[in-house]
Amino acid sequence: MELLLQLIVTTLQISAVYILFSLGLTLIFGVMQIVNFAHGHYFAISALITVYFMPWLVAAGFPAAGAYILSGAFGVLVAALLGLATYYFGFRYFQRDMVGSFILSVGFVLLFDGLFLELFGGAARSVPSLVEGTVSAFGVYITGQRLLLCAAAVSTAFILYLILMKTKLGLALRAVSIDQEAAMLQGIPYNKIALAGFMLAAVLAGIAGALIAPVSIVTPAIGADYIVKGFIAVIIGGLGSIPGAIVGALFVAVIEAFGGYYYGASTATVATFFLVIVFLLFRPKGLFGNG
Amino acid sequence: MINTQGSLLSGRNLERRFGGLLAVSELDIDLYPGEILGLIGPNGAGKSTTFNILSGFYRPTGGELHVLGEACTGSSPTKISRRGLVRTFQHGSLMPSMTVRDNILLGTMHQLSGRRRRKRVSRAEETAEMLGLSNYLQEIAGTLPHGLQRLVSIGIAFATRPKILCLDEPLTGLNYTEASSALQVLEKIRSDFNCSILLVEHNMKAAMKICDRMVVLHHGKPIATGIPEDIRANDEVISIYLGKRDDT
Amino acid sequence: MANYKIQSWIIFGVLAVLTSLYFSNLYAASIVSSVAIAALLAGSLRFVMLIGELNFAIAAFVGIGAYSAGVATTMLDISFFLAIILSGIVACIISVIFGSITLRSGGPYFLLIGFAFTEAMRIMFSKMEVLGKTSGMIGIFPPLWLDDWLSLSAVIICLILLFALYAIEKSQFGIILRSIRDNPDVTRTVGVNVLYWKVACFSVASFCAGVAGALQAFSNNVISPGDFSYLLAVFVLAYVKVGGESSIAGSILGAVFLVLLGEFALSMGAGEHIFYGSAIVIAVLFMREGIIGIVFSVIGRIRITRTAKESRA
Repeated sequence: MELLLQLIVTTLQISAVYILFSLGLTLIFGVMQIVNFAHGHYFAISALITVYFMPWLVAAGFPAAGAYILSGAFGVLVAALLGLATYYFGFRYFQRDMVGSFILSVGFVLLFDGLFLELFGGAARSVPSLVEGTVSAFGVYITGQRLLLCAAAVSTAFILYLILMKTKLGLALRAVSIDQEAAMLQGIPYNKIALAGFMLAAVLAGIAGALIAPVSIVTPAIGADYIVKGFIAVIIGGLGSIPGAIVGALFVAVIEAFGGYYYGASTATVATFFLVIVFLLFRPKGLFGNG
Repeated sequence: MINTQGSLLSGRNLERRFGGLLAVSELDIDLYPGEILGLIGPNGAGKSTTFNILSGFYRPTGGELHVLGEACTGSSPTKISRRGLVRTFQHGSLMPSMTVRDNILLGTMHQLSGRRRRKRVSRAEETAEMLGLSNYLQEIAGTLPHGLQRLVSIGIAFATRPKILCLDEPLTGLNYTEASSALQVLEKIRSDFNCSILLVEHNMKAAMKICDRMVVLHHGKPIATGIPEDIRANDEVISIYLGKRDDT
Repeated sequence: MANYKIQSWIIFGVLAVLTSLYFSNLYAASIVSSVAIAALLAGSLRFVMLIGELNFAIAAFVGIGAYSAGVATTMLDISFFLAIILSGIVACIISVIFGSITLRSGGPYFLLIGFAFTEAMRIMFSKMEVLGKTSGMIGIFPPLWLDDWLSLSAVIICLILLFALYAIEKSQFGIILRSIRDNPDVTRTVGVNVLYWKVACFSVASFCAGVAGALQAFSNNVISPGDFSYLLAVFVLAYVKVGGESSIAGSILGAVFLVLLGEFALSMGAGEHIFYGSAIVIAVLFMREGIIGIVFSVIGRIRITRTAKESRA
């Protein structure tokens, strides 16, 4: 029973990052009908900047929490800028062109892989925990740091939900996802909305990257680990669906937590894949897909 | 098993819902051998939805469909097509990057599968000739003017030599001359090839001229079925669609 | 027009064979093999593009082919040519299963699940004892009598398969494939079973990918799971995109160009990733029709000038 609870908690904690990831992927697909393979790099650059600058700021005399928040914010900013650059110089010419945009994103992946390696070197880094100690309840343990991560991820997802449901921007984003032409006929400025959606997704990835820095070893290739799972999550949930992205991310996290515990991480990945194949037999477009 | 009484295509009490929206309901429709049946109605009346149901692109949420004697409610388009019902689409019912010849050839593929390549090519050429497209065979379909593209779409569908040909607004965008020759082709298809035709058409003059019978839809329900003269005189039809009596 | 094309193929074939005979030293021969294999892979990827799908699972099938050849040769003592055919068949069979399920979804789903498949296969290869786990397999050698002629064999096999892909594309099978890409609804309504033909296309392409994998195994003599990651699919995509999608000649050109350029760049110590990445980005943004597009437009301009001159004369 304790084991079960522990695994559930692990699931929730793993799912935190996957949710932020998959929300971004599905948002971009919903609004622009494109698949951005380079999404993981917005995540990676944010994580890299965070681990790079935090020790530097601490050495300069900042308190740990302040240094973390500053470097994290900087990381998110850089992620957003990278997203803007890729959108402005590339993706905006390929809206609704799934194959073309994917190929372009693949080019970006290689380019950024090489550049990040040059800029940051191959060494793994991490930052010290902000919150020491372990919290326990009902016999379940979770480190304070990871608890913080979960809380931050949940709040971010909630804020995103509020944006999508309660603001004009959110309404426009949803309208464009459902029917681009109809939305344009209603006077919604498609290009501006597409840019907004893209930036929102990049920022989500950036936040995820900043959040992961204290709990994980950060290398320039860190995006790759998450991108596979992120894509599997949106396949399951259905491309373009927000609730789908969350459900898909939870599913992937469950298999990783439970499967990983009993059979090992890589076996869990293989299992995830085969389960998704079977799933596609019955729901070719995912649970809530409109792709 | 419903009583289809010699009709090639029978829909009984067909219904299609989209969430809360009832796009089509209480639809009974029959297509008899050798006839040209018109499906008319104002925009949003449910004509496209009906078309999609009859050709298998939508699964009806209620009612039954029989195509050439076989129950086909919920069957896939490929299956219904193999029974002998082929349709065109309102927009872009052709392959724009391919030549006219290859477009029409596609229509011959399923029927004449196997090693009968010569037969496929000759049927495609025959079809093209009937439609006046023989001079355009090597042109890329997407570069042709709109009227010719419409003819190509009809060609693709007709190359399958169907028993039921469903045309979704075949005359839209055609000028008077083009429309007249298209109507002549449809007449020929009906008489020489033993093919019944169901068409959706906005052009009332043309529809009245060529259709043997008509079904008028309004808000997804059929409000009148009969020969053009009767439809023309039907008060309800006049009030919702034709406007003043003098227009016809 | 058809004769003109066949002529081109014959000339090209002869040139390719002569090239491989000329470059007989070990290093050059291995490059010739690499180019041939890359061209075949590019042709295979492009073939699936005919139905409008992006086959990101190609690397998995290359790996399946390579490991099949490895097992066939080192454990089952199957002869060279038979091993190659067998590798193609194994890849083909697995592709039929994979494709029947995933091609229903198509589009972004097919693309992403292909990526996941590649990762899953790579992990599986690295976990299987019999396949040497992460160290992979070694000792995959062609028979002794073929030793000096390996690159020639690779070139001939790839030529044959590329020509087959070309012939299929130009045949009526090709009409069905392109109709599926241009307008699947019309294709459905004329009675064509779209899923069947998509799977047929995919399995032909996967057969070629399997053969390419086998050739790669014999060429390098050692294989390991890391050789078959999604990066391989990315490189193949680069060959197709830079060369030009409009014709199979583009795939071949792209492969030749990028593999040779890549060798050159490597020898200068430049970052392989940055190189290929930039090539793709530049090709996608500025050279939509690829190298072959540029070639065709130059030929087109020469023709127009010639016709203009003739009509003036």
